[in-house]
Amino acid sequence: MPDKKEFIGIIKENEGLIYKVTRVYANSKEDEQDLYQDIVYQLWKSFDSFRKEAKITTWMYRVALNTAIAFLHKERRKRNHQPIDDALMNRTDINEPLKQERIEALYAVIKKLNTIEKGIILLYLEGRPYDEIAAITGFSCTNIGTRLNRIRQKITVQIKK
Amino acid sequence: MELEEMKTLWEEMSIAVEKQKTITDSIIIKMTQTSFRNKMNRIWIPEILGSLVCLAEILYILINIQKLTPWYLLACGISAVVTLSLLILLSVKAIQKMRSVNISKINYKQSLLEYAAGKRQFVLVQKINFYLSAILLVVSLPVMGQLMGGKDLFKTSGFWIWYAVLFLFFYPLSRWLFKYYLKVTRDGEEILKELEG
Repeated sequence: MPDKKEFIGIIKENEGLIYKVTRVYANSKEDEQDLYQDIVYQLWKSFDSFRKEAKITTWMYRVALNTAIAFLHKERRKRNHQPIDDALMNRTDINEPLKQERIEALYAVIKKLNTIEKGIILLYLEGRPYDEIAAITGFSCTNIGTRLNRIRQKITVQIKK
Repeated sequence: MELEEMKTLWEEMSIAVEKQKTITDSIIIKMTQTSFRNKMNRIWIPEILGSLVCLAEILYILINIQKLTPWYLLACGISAVVTLSLLILLSVKAIQKMRSVNISKINYKQSLLEYAAGKRQFVLVQKINFYLSAILLVVSLPVMGQLMGGKDLFKTSGFWIWYAVLFLFFYPLSRWLFKYYLKVTRDGEEILKELEG
């Protein structure tokens, strides 16, 4: 039986990570809530098998991103999750409207990328080193560099439009 | 917005997010329990209910198989039992497949490959399901006519009208379904193309 206390501590410590993954992958507030709960559930389910062979954040990103893929590709989604505290999903409401607007624009740019690019840019923006991005995604460090260059070009084109 | 500019903005946003710790112990516990219950509802129950209905029909036919005479009604009965058994088998396979993906062990790339393969398999299974259901409708109509109504429908005038009605129902449904399957197949191919890049 996984240690509930330890698990709760880890989730509390890294709740921002889960929040950012849900913001990148989900397209509505309801989907964000669903995905958030799915990620916590999957983390709990696999917590027992986490043998500390990887950094806790590497394991969390891997589970969160894989859950996001599963969530995106579910054929039929039925929203019957319990509503959770709205504050959980509205935490970037920064008092400066201009900055808030830029953050929304940032998410909008990321959301236009394809699934692979979303994962790579998220990890890059999170400041993860290339070898950790490689461990989470399964792509080589060189391939990640190539893909990041492509993402840079894509973003430039998007902004010019 | 350049990548570096995006990173700076992201860092600022991350600091703001970190400052707003809102999750509580009870919310975390509730989330895992809620999710678990919903997973049961969403995935298992429809599959299990469908299998139970098929099983009940198999048992009903088998218990009353001696009533299926002449030979063509018996042939329809056996075909219905075989078709229903295949439908149950497909359901069991689908459940096994759902349980086999270990989200914590595989990486992002493997996960995407898994879902591309899953989409291909989904289309294949749905097509088989569709054809099996069509066969089941055709064969179970005379079987149920004999078992429930005591009538050999093949000898009843106007019996073929039922098949015409079934065809009218099935034809637009099949066109719609196959268009949908094409879309799912394309989605899977799109993922593979992204991975190659």
